[in-house]
Formats: sequence, structure tokens, C-alpha cells
Amino acid sequence: MEKFKITKINYPYLEKPVEIYERECGHKIVFAYKKGELINISSWVKTGSINENDKNNGISHFLEHLMFKGTKKHKAGEFDRILESRGAIVNAATWKDYTFYYVTIPKGLDEKNFKDTLDLHADMMLNPVIPDNEIGEPFDLNNPDIKVKRERHVVIEEIRMRKDQPWTLVYNNLNSNMYTSHPYKRDVIGNEEIISKITREEVLNYYKTHYTPNNITTIITGDLNPDEVIPMVAEKFDFNGRENRNNEVFPLDVPVKELKIYENYSQINTGFLMFGWLCPIAADIKNSTLLETIGIILGEGASSRLYRELIEKATKPVFNIVSTDYYSFRDGGNFFIQANFKPEYKTEAIDMIKNQLLKIQTNGINENELKKAKKKLKAEFAENSETVSDIADTIGSYMTICNNLNCVETYVKTIEEITKEEVQKAAQEYLDINKSVISILMPESYKT
Amino acid sequence: MEKYTLKNGIKTIIKKNKNTPRTAIVMYVKLNKDETKYGLYYLFSRMLLKGTKKYSSEDIANILDENAIDISVDKKADYIRFKLLCLNEDVNKGLEILQEIIENSTFDDIDKEIIKIKGEFQADLDSAKIKAQDEYYRTIFKNHTYGIGRNEILEQIDSITKEDLKSVYDEIKYKSQKNIAIVSDFDKEEIIKLLENHLNGIKSEEKEEFKRTSAEALESNRVSIIKKEDANQAQIFQGWQFPSIYSKDYPTILLLNTILGSSGLSSRLFLELREKQGLAYTVRSVFESFMLSSHFFVYIATEPKNIKTSLNGFKTEIDKIMKEIISDEELENAKNNAIGKRQFYTETNLLEAILRGYYEFLDLGWDYEEKLINSLKSVTKEDIIKIAKKYFSTPNALCILAPEKYIKEANF
Repeated sequence: MEKFKITKINYPYLEKPVEIYERECGHKIVFAYKKGELINISSWVKTGSINENDKNNGISHFLEHLMFKGTKKHKAGEFDRILESRGAIVNAATWKDYTFYYVTIPKGLDEKNFKDTLDLHADMMLNPVIPDNEIGEPFDLNNPDIKVKRERHVVIEEIRMRKDQPWTLVYNNLNSNMYTSHPYKRDVIGNEEIISKITREEVLNYYKTHYTPNNITTIITGDLNPDEVIPMVAEKFDFNGRENRNNEVFPLDVPVKELKIYENYSQINTGFLMFGWLCPIAADIKNSTLLETIGIILGEGASSRLYRELIEKATKPVFNIVSTDYYSFRDGGNFFIQANFKPEYKTEAIDMIKNQLLKIQTNGINENELKKAKKKLKAEFAENSETVSDIADTIGSYMTICNNLNCVETYVKTIEEITKEEVQKAAQEYLDINKSVISILMPESYKT
Repeated sequence: MEKYTLKNGIKTIIKKNKNTPRTAIVMYVKLNKDETKYGLYYLFSRMLLKGTKKYSSEDIANILDENAIDISVDKKADYIRFKLLCLNEDVNKGLEILQEIIENSTFDDIDKEIIKIKGEFQADLDSAKIKAQDEYYRTIFKNHTYGIGRNEILEQIDSITKEDLKSVYDEIKYKSQKNIAIVSDFDKEEIIKLLENHLNGIKSEEKEEFKRTSAEALESNRVSIIKKEDANQAQIFQGWQFPSIYSKDYPTILLLNTILGSSGLSSRLFLELREKQGLAYTVRSVFESFMLSSHFFVYIATEPKNIKTSLNGFKTEIDKIMKEIISDEELENAKNNAIGKRQFYTETNLLEAILRGYYEFLDLGWDYEEKLINSLKSVTKEDIIKIAKKYFSTPNALCILAPEKYIKEANF
């Protein structure tokens, strides 16, 4: 019987510790117990746009689509049909640091659904055939007479969809200008020119390079017995000697040296803007949590400073929407302030946000704000422990961008230890207005 | 699940889910009259969190956020729904705030809220999909409250007064039919005591007169076009009016929807228009049921030059399901798919409270879910084709957003 290195993690709001089983080949299996009829099987792969370049940008996401196109045992569409005909939700997603595949399904009598799902999921992860006729022929974007359209056209439609979303446009413009050299600067989905031309060979090579045992974490969540489940997962995930590789390490990017403002135009009636900053690596849990705390106080919910001061107490209606967000990434997170505003007040809108930021940096926060943020962080964690899919997502994300779950075990303690002074210092250190990038999307009528 | 009627007459259902950290309380309030001005109920639901005799808007926001209590008031087509979700330790505080907003809202500063709503709607309408979807609702439910979208509200919201809101408030507090659903780790006695303490200032009238206008049936096909020259994709919605949720056809329609386009990666529309023809990333069907009517629509977002091909694709699939009997295997798969997915609807305390409470609101009974599952099991292949013919052969509403050139080229 295969031996595992087992680590147990006390996971807040779950009845039992989460167990990590590390295999000799490098593949990790995580088991989380959650009472109920639904189970989740997910596999998280440590690749996304971080491993792409200007020539193959979008390949991780394209591969994610093509992974559903069959194996030697199951032809394209069979995986979806078999599982969905049992009530499953099946899908996948690609982001900068990872690509993950999941199935959430009722457990079924005698755990039959679990066994069958595991069989299909492992087969899909290990043996994709990615047939030419499913990818579709490479084609010229300027040729209007393409008759046979396959998956590359589906992805191109997804790219088009995103071009009609104002928030996506403003985010992409911000993202590409926040970085100088790090691969995070590219849009995860890529562009039509690359997707229309990319070959099967390139996709297969990419799969072979990145879908290695040490790059994959499989997570099983639900009312199951790990003593029975883990050997089954290990058996099905037979990598058959597949070689590991070390992931490329990229130098961390540095923030811009002076405030940069980029403006674009579209057929819209309101203005959209985003401020963005480069922040600490995901494994720096302390500082990441401090930035999440600032996010709550500054821009999350009806009691946040930005909402109260810029919308509720505003003497003139400059803003329609204003809030904050924090994205955690392996090689450095992003803090955002995003707003929708009346375009005639663009300059005021920028100044008003800057002013609120300055206040938090100069005067810090009060005790009530800190108490509120701590409670919210804990409640959000509790909320993310309510469904098998949310639990699997949290585990998968930490295992992929932090390489372990240690931070989960100490998460509540980390929150409780936060002080007002630390929050103020983090705001000064990471959210310097002179090291930020602002992306704006304005109505075309404002184009000069 | 246990039933209980509070002293104020509100029918309540209670379920204990052991070892769950958060409590969910949901109250449905029936809307028995059409709104006199578009946006009245929506503005009313927003104003409930904007100040009471005891607390300012800022106080309410602070208390809720400091305690991580989520209270929301959602205006839907047939009801207003109050939701309270919080950690078990904060239920008393949450109910205190809920009581305060239900009993003592002041409706001050409505002008400010109107400005905010207008701004938010204008931002929403910068999304091509939202713009087209609003237009589709307006087209299929012409002159009916189900068809009211952001544009209609933008036109009339300025005329709403504080008196209008107070009039709705009196109805809601003392007359409208209400029901509550609670799912939590609390014992029944404990939670009832809390509810009796906090909700004794309102009443529920079981037999309040129902004065809502029926939805006008489509007598011929309706087409609505939005020209958007910089659109990268055409947004296409095509829908048919279907019967209300009370119809005996309801379970069959749910399966029809599963087969056609609601079932993720294996539905007919997905397989044909996305997987085989590569026309779209998003293509699906949606069945949305209300008390007075329902509708079933198909949707695709596609490169503008594909408008005609997509409409033909819709027609082919609709014709096929009206004419060709489905296989035993497809029916069985659809049933297992639809029934299996229903477990997601009760996965959390909040989801279960919303679902069970909604069935009680409709007078279908909290255990309608189990009855529905049995009904789904007994649907036949003949039922599917019969229902498809019955409703898809009626006039439809079509809404397309795209650059003008491609709308002309499609020549439909």
C-alpha cells in the first residue's frame, strides 16, 4: 500500500481537521470532512498565465477548455453527460497562478457517484487526447468564410464577451500597466490572434510541461471516510512515472515610481475607474490580512469609509458605485479601489478617492473599525465553510499559491492579533498614491 | 421542519440544522397591488435600511457590519423578501435591527436614495447584456409589472413621494400576507421566543384582496432591436410566455428546460450551438416562473455576423423538441440531472430557508420540494413533446442588440 506523508490542519468552522496526504511522486491529496449529501472533487494545477509569454498568452485557459474533449476511454462530451445526468455541477477555471477542475455531485447510493466521478475526473486530468477535430483548424481572423468552428471559436467568443464588459476593460488596462516584466501583466484569456493560430502540438507540450504530479493537488470534500477514499484517489491518479519539473521563478515586479493614469473610451454613459497597487506575496499572510482589513474599512459594505463619505454624505452626486477589492497572488497581490462615476466629475472623483486614502494613511483607523473588520473577516471565513465547493476552493487556492494550509490553521489568530498601528503602517507602505496606477474608461463623447 | 403560527398571525416554519454556525431567517411579504409608480416597491425596499426613529442610516450600517449581520430587503416580482443572516451568537441583535426597520423606518432623504438608484441603473445599462435583457422583459411583458426594467423606473422614480412610501409601509406592516422560514442550530422554543419578542409590532392578513393585473398574452410575435455600434457580440433573447408556477405543467417545463438549455455542459443548445457550431461561449435557456405568468427564453451572445445562424439554431432546436419524441435515455438523464441538482438548493441554511419559505409563500407547502421531485419522476416523453408544442407554438418575443449593419444583414 502506498505510503503518504500526512499533515493534519485544524480548519476553522469545520467539524474535523483537514488532512493533507503527500505522495512520493509529489501529487498531494487533501481531504476535508463536511456533513451532507453533496461531495466535491477538485484538482488544482499550478499553472495559469504566470507560465505564459507574449507568443502563447491564453494557452492555459485554452487547454482548460480542451481538457473536456475526451480521453482514450471517454469521447468528448461523455464526461459532462454522465456526470450532469446525475445532478452534478461540472466546470473549470483558469487564473494567473492556477487552473482548476471540479465536480460537485450528490454522493449517491453506496457512494457510487463518488467512485464514478473520481474515475472520470482522474482520467480527464491524466489522459486528455485533445483531438484536432475538437480544437478546430488554425485560421486567419480576417477570413470571413470559416465554415467549421470548434473550440478555438468558443474561446474567441469568450474574448469578445469580455470586450463588451466595461469593468473587464478597465481592469485589463490597469493590470497590463501595473507590471513591467512579470507575466501577471497579461490577460489570462489571451487574445484572438494567438488563439486563432495556436497548434495542437503547442497545447500538448504545455500540458506535458505543467500537468506534473508535483503541480497538482486533488481535493476531496464531503461526508466520506478518508481511510477508504485516499487510497482510491491515489490509485486513480496513477501518474505512471510522469516526471516532475521545477516551476519557473520570476523576479517580483516593483511598483511604478510615479502615479500613472491611463484613459480609454467606449460607447458608455458613465465613467469607470480603478486604482491599483502591487502588494505582498500570498505567503505573507500577515500583510495580506492587513490589506484585506484596510479593504473592509475603506470600501466593503454600507458602513465603509468610501461609501459613507463619497456616496451617503456626498454634497454632489459624483459616484454611483465605489468599493475596494484584494486579489491574492503567489508573486504579489493587488489592492484595488474601483468606482463608477458621473463622467463630468472625473477629476473630482480621483481627488476624492485620493483624499480618503490619505486620511487612513495619516490618521489611521479607530477601534470600532478594527473590531468590525476582524468580525467580518471571521464571518467571511465561516461563510466559505458552508458548502463543499467553497471549502474546496479555499483549500485549493491556499495549496496552490501558498503551497500549504498552515495559514488557515492560524488564520483566526492572525486576525485577532491585528493592531490599528499595523493597519496604518500597511496603508502607508503598500498604498502610496505615488506608486499607484489608475485606469479610466470614459464615454466616447469625452474624447478630446 | 416544524410549522408554527406566531401571535401576530405570521405562519412560520422552523428547521434545526445541527452544528451550523450561521442562522438564516427569511420573511416573505406578498405584493397584492400593482405599484402606482414604477420603482415604488424597489425604492421602498431600499429605504428600509436608510434610517429609523432610533437609528440613522449610518448607525444601521455600522451595527450590521460590526456584527457581521447581513440584513437585506429584496424586491422581487411578486413579493418583498427580508433576509437576516448572521452568526448564531448575533441573532438577537439581528432581530432587534430587523424589528426596528420593519416598525420604525422614517423614509427621510428619499431624494438622495433616488439619485443613487438612478446612478446605479445608468452604470448597469452600460452593460450590453443588461440593456438587452431589460428590453427583452419589456417586450415579452409589455405593460405589465413583470416587464418593468431600469428605463421605466428611471422615468418615474422622481415622482415618488414620502407619502407614497408610507402608504406602502402601512400595507406591509399591518395588512400584507407574510410568512417566515428559519433554518439554524437553534431549538424551536428558543427561536420562537426571540421572534415573538421582536416581531410583535406587525400583523399578517391571510385573506387580503389580490388586485394585481394579469399579464397580457402575446397575440403576435414582437421584435425589439437595440443598435449598439461598438458591440463585439450580438445579444439575442427569444422568449415565450409560459404558465405560472401553479400550473400542472410546471414539472414538465422544468425538464424541458433541462433538456434544452439549463443543464450546464450537456444540454441540446450547448451541444449544438456551442460545441458543434462554435457560435458562442454563452448559450442557454432559462425558465422563470412567477405567480401570474412565467416565461421561457433562449439566450446567446455571439459575434454579430452570426445573428441569422443563431436564430436558425434556436428554431431548429425548438422545432425538434416540438416534433421529435425524446429518447428514454435523454429523459432519464434529464430527470436525474434536475433532481440531483435540487440538492444544491438546500445546501446552506440560507438557501433552504429561501426555498422552503418560498413554497409556503406560494401556499404550496414547505414540503413542495419533495412533491415536486415525485412529479418530476413521473413525467413522460409524451408529456415533454405535448408541453413543447403547447407553448412554443405561441407567439414569441425577440430582442437583439447589435451594430446596425449586422441587424440589417440578418434580414429576419
